Parts: sequence; C-alpha cells; structure tokens
Amino acid sequence: MSKYTEEDLEQELKTKEYEYGFYTDIESETFAKGLNEDVVRAISKKKNEPQWMTDWRIEAFRVWEKMEEPDWANVKYPKPDFQGIAYYSAPKQKPKLNSLDEVDPDLLETFKKLGISLEEQKRLANVAVDIVIDSVSVATTFKKTLGEKGIIFMPISEAIQEHPELVRKHLGTVVPTSDNFYAALNSAVFSDGSFCYIPKGVKCPMELSTYFRINEGGTGQFERTLVVADKGSYVSYLEGCTAPSRDENQLHAAVVELIALDDAEIKYSTVQNWYPGDADGKGGVFNFVTKRGICETNAKISWTQVETGSAVTWKYPSCILKGNNSVGEFYSIAVTNHHQQADTGTKMIHLGKNTKSTIISKGISAGKSQNSYRGLVHVGARAENARNFSQCDSLLMGNACGAHTFPYIEAKNKSAQIEHEATTSKIGEDQLFYCNQRGIDTEKAIALIVNGFSKEVLNKLPMEFAVEAQKLLEISLEGSVG
Amino acid sequence: MLKINNLHASIDDKSILKGLNIEVKAGEIHAIMGPNGAGKSTLANIIAGKEEYEVTDGIIELDGEDISELAPEERAHNGVFLSFQYPVEIPGVSVTNFIKTAINETRKAKGLEDMPAKDMLKMIREKSELLEIDRKFLSRSLNEGFSGGEKKRNEIFQMAMLEPKLAILDETDSGLDIDALRIVANGVNKLKSKDNAVIVITHYQRLLDYIVPDFVHVLHDGKIVKTGDASLALELEAKGYDWIKKELV
Amino acid sequence: MTKVKMELKEKIVASYVAFENDVDINSEIHDIRTEAFQNFEKLGFPTKKLEAWKYTSLNSVLKNDFSIFPNKENAIEFADVKKYFIHDIDTYKVVFIDGKYSSFLSDTTHDGKDVCLMSSALSKPKYKSVIKKYFNKIAKQDNLTSLNTAFTNEGAYIYIPKNVEVEKPIQIINFTTGNDVATMIQPRNLVVVEENAHVQIIERHQSLTDNAVLTNSVTEIFSAKNATVDYYKIQNDKDNASLVDNTFIEQKTNSVVSVHTFSFGGNITRNNLNFYQRGEHIDSILKGITIIEGKQHVDHHTLVHHIEPNCESHQDYKGIFDARSTGVFNGKVIVEKEAQKTNAYQQNNNVLVSDKATINAKPQLEIFADDVKCSHGCTIGQLDEDALFYMQQRGIPKKEGKALLMYAFANTVLESVKIPEVKQRINKLIATKLGVHIGFDL
Ligand SMILES: Nc1ncnc2c1ncn2[C@@H]1O[C@H](COP(=O)(O)OP(=O)(O)OP(=O)(O)O)[C@@H](O)[C@H]1O
Ligand SMILES: [Mg+2]
Repeated sequence: MSKYTEEDLEQELKTKEYEYGFYTDIESETFAKGLNEDVVRAISKKKNEPQWMTDWRIEAFRVWEKMEEPDWANVKYPKPDFQGIAYYSAPKQKPKLNSLDEVDPDLLETFKKLGISLEEQKRLANVAVDIVIDSVSVATTFKKTLGEKGIIFMPISEAIQEHPELVRKHLGTVVPTSDNFYAALNSAVFSDGSFCYIPKGVKCPMELSTYFRINEGGTGQFERTLVVADKGSYVSYLEGCTAPSRDENQLHAAVVELIALDDAEIKYSTVQNWYPGDADGKGGVFNFVTKRGICETNAKISWTQVETGSAVTWKYPSCILKGNNSVGEFYSIAVTNHHQQADTGTKMIHLGKNTKSTIISKGISAGKSQNSYRGLVHVGARAENARNFSQCDSLLMGNACGAHTFPYIEAKNKSAQIEHEATTSKIGEDQLFYCNQRGIDTEKAIALIVNGFSKEVLNKLPMEFAVEAQKLLEISLEGSVG
Repeated sequence: MLKINNLHASIDDKSILKGLNIEVKAGEIHAIMGPNGAGKSTLANIIAGKEEYEVTDGIIELDGEDISELAPEERAHNGVFLSFQYPVEIPGVSVTNFIKTAINETRKAKGLEDMPAKDMLKMIREKSELLEIDRKFLSRSLNEGFSGGEKKRNEIFQMAMLEPKLAILDETDSGLDIDALRIVANGVNKLKSKDNAVIVITHYQRLLDYIVPDFVHVLHDGKIVKTGDASLALELEAKGYDWIKKELV
Repeated sequence: MTKVKMELKEKIVASYVAFENDVDINSEIHDIRTEAFQNFEKLGFPTKKLEAWKYTSLNSVLKNDFSIFPNKENAIEFADVKKYFIHDIDTYKVVFIDGKYSSFLSDTTHDGKDVCLMSSALSKPKYKSVIKKYFNKIAKQDNLTSLNTAFTNEGAYIYIPKNVEVEKPIQIINFTTGNDVATMIQPRNLVVVEENAHVQIIERHQSLTDNAVLTNSVTEIFSAKNATVDYYKIQNDKDNASLVDNTFIEQKTNSVVSVHTFSFGGNITRNNLNFYQRGEHIDSILKGITIIEGKQHVDHHTLVHHIEPNCESHQDYKGIFDARSTGVFNGKVIVEKEAQKTNAYQQNNNVLVSDKATINAKPQLEIFADDVKCSHGCTIGQLDEDALFYMQQRGIPKKEGKALLMYAFANTVLESVKIPEVKQRINKLIATKLGVHIGFDL
C-alpha cells in the first residue's frame, strides 16, 4: 500500500525530534542556585552597576517577594522552583570581538547548526547582529554604521554604563517593576539584554536583530530589552530564538519595553522556536514574557510574532495607545504541537483620540497541544473615535488538541468602533483531495494550506525573517494530521 | 490508455456506478453525457482516486497498470488530471504558488530537479497568454472569491501547466461566457496531441462544437448505455434523454 | 463595604434555621438543601474577584436590608397588573406574589399535564419520582444557585408528558409588592418536557414598588428526545429591582430549545443561561435584545456545552445602551472532543448611544474537536450615519430615523419569536424604549 495514512503521519510526528536539540559546551561562571536580596546585590555588583540600578533591582525584588505566581492563564505546568535556579551565568572568557574569527568556535558551530550562522547573517543585507548567549553579550557588530547615525544599539548592561541617563529615564516606565510576578522577577535579576535608541528623525537604515539562546543547564534567563524611538524616528527590530534540547524545564521570563515618542514607529518582530519538550511533553522551555509598548501622538507600534516553540508560552505583546492618532498592531501565528501549551494574545489600550488597532491572530494546534488566544481591547472614556478590528482564526489538526479564544472587549466611549471575529476550522478533505489531484502529497498540501492560513501574518515579517518563519512552520507541523 | 471494466462503486452503501465499461486510447477525445445524478462526476472522482467512494468491483487500468491502489497524487504524477466541477477554495495560497508546488512535486516524484524559476515563469507567461488570463489573477488566493467562470478557466490553466496524459473535464463549460468557452476550448485543442487523451463531461453540444469528440457516451443510472460518434450529441441535444431511457426498457 | 455584605450573608445563614421550621425536613430534597446551604455558607456572595463576575458587582444591591421571608399574604387586583400579562391570548398562569402562590391570579392545570406549584410537587408523593429524577440535577453548585437551592420552596412546576403539545402558552409571573422595605425572593422552577412534547413558556419578574427587590431565580429545564421548548423571558422591571436569573437546560437527541431574553429595565440584571447538549442533532437557540438607559446594568452570561456530535447552537444578542447604562456579554461555547460536526454560531452586536454608557464583552470559544464550524462575532459601534442621513433626506425626522435603525438592528432577534402576541408586545416595548410612536408593523 502506497497510501499515506493518518497513522503514518502520526507516527512520523512522534519521531520528529527537536531539530536544534544540541548543547554547546562553553565554560560558564555560574552563581549558586537560589534567590535573595544578597544575590540581587551580587548580580548588580558583578555588573558594576551604579547605585540607582542596584536600588531599582532591590525594590523590584521586594515587590516580587510579596507577589504570587499568576494562575489565570489556560496552561498547566509544574510551578518552577525559584530557589532552584541559578540567577547569573556568564561565559568565562568574554572575548573582545572585531571579526568572526575571534568568536568561540563552539559558538560558531552552534549557529551553523541553527542554519543562521554569522557568516550567513553578515551576508544578509543590512542586518546587524547582537548575539546574547546565556546572559551576557559576546558579540556586537555593525556598531559603526549605526554610530554614524547616532543610533545606540548595545547590550543593556553596557548601556547602563555608557548611557545611564537614557536608561534611567525609560527603564520600567512601560512595564513597571510591580506589573506582574514575572516582570518583577525579571527587574530584580535581569542579567542582560538589548538597548536601542533611535535619535529624533532618524530612520534606522537596517533591521536590528538579536539572537537569544538559553544555554547553561538549570539557568533561567531573564533578558531585558528597551527600545526607545525618539520623535519622528523609525526602527525595525527582529528577535529570534532557539534553545538546546534538555530534559529539565527551563524558565524564561523576559521583559521588552518599547517607547515610541511622537510620530515614531517601531516594528518588533519575533520568531520564537525554543525547545518545546519531547513528544511525551517532557522538558521544554517555560516562556513567561512581558512585552509592552507605549505610543505617543501619531506614533505606531507593530508587533509581529511567529511562535512555534516552548513547552509553555504566556505572552501578550501589548500597546498603550496614549497619544492621539496613535496606532497599534498585533500579528501573530502561534503553532502548538505535541504537549505544547500556548496562552498568547495582546492588549490594545486605547486612551488617545482617533487611535487605531488591528489584531490578526492565527492559532494552529496539532498533536495533544492547547492553543489559546487571550486579548483585551479597551477603549477609555476619552478615546474618541477609537477603532479596533480583531480577527482570530484557529486551525485544528487532529482530534486531541484544543483551540480557545478569550477576547475581552471593554468600551466606554460611544464613538468606539470595535469588530471582533473568530473562526475555527480544520483542513478540509476536499482541499486535500484537490491538492492530491494536482500531484501534491498530503504532507506538502498541509504545509501549503497552513502557509496560506498564516499568510496575512507572514507577510508582515521582514523578508529575511519570513523565509525562516515559513521554514519553522513547516518543521513544527511536519507530519501533522489533516 | 485508460481501460475501465465492469466498475461498481458506492458511497455510504448507496450504489452509484453499476458495471461501467469504457476504453480511451491515446489521441482520442471522449464525451460523456447523461442526466443529472447519473454518476458522471462520481466516475471522474473515482478515476482521480477520491477515497470517499468505495469501489466494490471492476478494474481501472492506466497504460495497462491497475491504478486502483494508487493515492490521488500518484495518479496525478502518472498524468491523470481532473478539472473539477466545483473547484475548492484554498485561502492564502496564490495560484502561482500552488501550481509551482504541483509541478515541482510531480517532478520530484519522477526524480527530476525543481523546475528553474526562469522556465517556470516563461511557462506561466505562455500558458496564461494561450488562455487569455490576466496575470494579476494568478497572484490571487486559489479560487477564493473567483467567479464561476474564473474557477473553470483556472482549472484549464492548471491543466495547461501540468500537461497531463489523461485530462478529465467535468462540466468545465458550465459557467463560462461565450468568449471564454471558445478560449478554453481552443486551449484544450492546442494541448491535444496523439499521445494524450481527453474525457469531456458536459450537458451541452456547444462545447462539442469546438472540442469535437471521437466518441460520445451516454451515462445513465451508473452505466454507459449508449455510445456513438459526434452526431449522438446532436441527437441528444434535440431529443433529450427520454428516448434512450425508453430504448432501455 | 465588605462589612455590609457579611451582614446579609449572616442574616441569610441565621434564617436558615427558621426556614427549616417551615418545610418538611424529612423530604427527599432536604439533604440537597442542606448541602447547598453549606456550599453557600462557604462561598458567600460573588465578588468582582471571580472571573465570572468581573464586570458585574452586586455590592450596591446587597447592602439593602432585605427581608428574606415575607410573611404576609399580599393580594393584588387583576386590573392593576393586567398589563404585565400577555392578556390578549388564553394562557395557563402560575403567579406568585412576594414569593407566595396566588391562586386568585393563577390558572393551573393537571389535565394531561402538570402546570402547578413547586411547593406541592415537593410535598406530594405523586410527583416524587419526577422530583427525584430531575430536581437539582443540572443546576450548578455556584454561590447564588446554591443559595436558591438551600431555600427552595416555591416556584412553577411544569411536567409535559410524552407526545403532548400544550395548546396554549404558560406564563410564570413573580410580583413583588414592596410591603417590606426590601424584598428578596428566590423562585425555583422545574420544567420537564418528555419525548415529542412541545411547550411555550413566558416568564416575567415584576416589582410593583420603588422599594428594593432582589430576585435570585433558578430554573431547570429538561427536554427529552424530539421535544421542543420555547422560553421567553421578559425583563422590564422597576429601577430598584435586581434579578439574578439562573437557567439550566439539558437537551436530548433531536430536541430544539430556544430561550429569548428581552431586557429593557431593572437595576442590575444578570442572566446565567446554561445549555448542556446530551444527544445528537440538538439545536440550542439563545437570543436576546437589551435596550437600557439610566444606570441600568444587564449582564448576559451564556454557556453552550457541546458534548455530543452533530449538534448546533445559535446565539444572537443585540444591545443598545443609553445614558450611564452598562452591558455585559460573556458567551462561552465549549466543544468537547467527541462533539464532531458541531456548528456553533455566536453573534453579539452593540450600540452605545451615550457617552457614559459602557459595554464589556467576552465571547469565548473553547474547542477540543477538529471537525467543527464555530464562529463568533462581536461588534461595538454606532448607527450608520449615512443611512440616517438618507432617511432624513426622505423626510423622516432624525429621532424616528434613529429608532427605525435601532429597530432594524434588533429585529433579527425578533424573527424567531413564535408567539405573535409576544412579538407585538416586545415591539411595543421597543417603541416605548426608543421614545417614538411609529407603527412597528410586523
Ligand atoms: N458524497 C456523496 N454522498 C452521497 N451521495 C453522493 C455523493 N456523491 C455523489 N452522490 C450521489 O451519487 C449520484 C451521482 O452523482 P454525480 O455527482 O456523480 O452525478 P453527475 O452525473 O455528475 O450529475 P450532474 O450532471 O448533476 O453533475 C447522485 O445521486 C448523487 O447525489
Ligand atoms: Mg457532476
């Protein structure tokens, strides 16, 4: 029998292991496990931080201590042991890099396996790469080109040293330390991340890109990203991640803050492919991220994400549309397979007049996974003429997964116009037959149809990312049942 | 090329084809006509390998080989093309992307490399010109929001691209305006050669004015009940099916 | 604030002993009552901290000094309350005044079916098997339903045997007279519709006073195979009357149950409407029109639980909110893994007429089956200005034009109303609400 049955597909799905499951052996200096005020101080000291930064962390830690881990999301997982995590780790020799030759060969090897080697990256037009391996940056390139425009793009730890006034002014203004459990934790212990400042009127000439990786065993990673787009400026920021395969759950609690001042625009794109655990749901990354941006007058923030990884995802990139005429956008594809659980969506908070938001969310669930969209559209009493359009589509593959939609819509202004639509569907037998008839096998047909389903969002990604994202979609659904 | 012997098929225990025979040789054009619900589309779908239908008896051979165990895509790789009576919509997948995938998958099955983009574009240009298709149309989502006629024209465009050995056109003429009918028919004729064959399923003579069949079959109640030359179609157009039904009793 | 709330809870807890004095504690359901009482004692009144009560707070209502058992038998003249009945057609009537049965206003029957009282159904042996089989079987064990169960004593009892098509609609009306400063009543209805039977029910809660009223009502409806139930809830109460309506419906194969909820008044109105589909080819229809003003608050909380394959559900809720009113729509559709080929539709459309009005919507889908068609749509917007201008240009005054547009907006919900007199009545209510007098012909 040459027929490719659902069972065959399922079998293949089961044996499909994590593509990038490997582990780089870089010597690390790691703190003992556990968290208390002394550890927070030690992290700050290690990084040579000014007193205000230390105080800020301590304050966050005290807030965190009093908080409880949230449990409202539609996800189930063993609660991490926060005292069982080492809160600091850095590669021992911090190489000063002028060229790729100086990069740790192991690291280069790692990137090769990912198919996103630095060589390739460098060849890609206009992409500056700031690699974060574990928690400390080890390479920054293209600094010069950016420097000429007055653009600051560096590890946030360096920015704290070199541009303390900028960091101090903006850090924690969009996501306050007390915002939520994970944000507070991140504020207390974040080790590094990226800082980006685009001066007034400057259009950043290239896509800014960072590749994050979680590496050291048992080390939680807490990045902190702060992007400030000054008046009239523009920046497109790319973030992509993957992690080594391991058995132990790894916690990731990042905070990303975006500030778009008057007339500025920030485009923030993410492709996330962390280790989702094995076919039995063992291992995998816990991804609890707080991402939020604030728009001043006429500003625009656009979040685009392709989420295929992590065992548990809890993530709501949001926009506070404070300024009049500001615009918020959220384009998302979330794919879950095996035992993955994703609870993701966005919040659009309309405060200013004539503010506009668009939400396009595409959820694809396969295997035994659970995929939830959770979103809030809030129109405040003074937000005259606010507009929102939301479209949440779910595609189910197989009969052991779930797709859920939890939109919250709050309108306090009569001029508000809000439209929310949601649909759920599966890939039609007739669609598959049509493709088969034209010589396309079932697996390829599924990839094609899923791609079509996700098109609106894929189109929003910068070219070089779209290709990678498309590949990821295919990989994560390979062998799924139609 | 195609040989069907004593074909019986049913769906949900409802028997639809009841001992159907037909033989199509390379270079021939066959027309199948018959009242609504006779089983014409069912026959087309079964040749293409649709699984819903249960073949309870009979054989289907393509070039002397039994194809009844082959998956639909394998039949397609062997040169079977079905122009659907009701083509499905696939949102977000452009016509171009779709046809590119179809061609390359078929080539892959034959152990060939992907068709170079340059050649692909050239072919798309040629075939779309042949069928007078606006190329803007090719970047739209497959069949989504297409008018009835546009869907049919798109089917023939795909046929032109895939260059099948055996093309089955299931009511490709319905929904086409007069000009489109001529364009599509001319397209089919140009693609016709001594090495391939066409089965045209239709209700009307007007298509057969352009695509002149070598044989005309009447399918009634799951069987071919009458076979003749092109003049049979004219006779049917004039007299309907009742006289054949009567002949049967 | 919390102090006050404790008081009502304490008062209720304390009066349970007194309540037990009046009812037969040896009856079948007494254990159910006791358990529910303990449950309420544990849970207390809902607060905004509960996700299900995020947008509705009962605090302002609960601080009233409610009398829990109105003692006096209060009588009212039919002429005074005629307008609250659908009086232009013949109907069965089960009427209560301050929670007590009014035989004078009622018109019950035992002729081939039972349309009568919960209190007698609970006490007479004749009804024992039905009570045992159905009573409190689908009511949720949440705060307010438990509270109602604990104090279950009176309400409507409707039993329609196999193949019986009830020849005229049944009206269930609860009047409150306001002879006490603040009255709390807890009607408990049970509707059992056996195979192939058909019944139409109209339910209304009506306060005749400006004093505070809190009604915490629970209705359980069982619809057997091929049965049809049409249920209409008319909510157009006084500004100081609040209602928590908890309705639970279980459907079996091929049954069709529709619930229309017309909310035009009251203080705080909370409708908890729950459908459980236990069979195939079931159709569940949930429709609502809400037109409110002042500080009124209407919260529709629906659940459709698709448990088995090949079923449908249709939800359509329209809301028009003026002044400082608040609307809440929380619609949840759950499709279980086994419920393949489910078709579930949900629509919620809202118009805010005033700057101070608020709408909160939370349309949720929880889907575990893959071969399903589920969709929900939710909109918040205004009336079409172009259409309004067009009408004005043709000489229709703006106010009437607006009314017409709003009428058209709400109309889809009225289409499925099967009792013409109810349709007419709702039409009139809409006209009154919109403050215009144009002929709303059907
Ligand atoms: N999937 C199906 N399920 C049930 N019955 C089917 C199915 N497909 C076809 N049939 C039935 O089989 C019979 C033959 O259908 P078919 O579509 O082959 O007819 P046809 O000859 O193509 O008719 P038309 O000229 O109207 O296109 C009809 O009675 C039809 O209803
Ligand atoms: Mg047909």
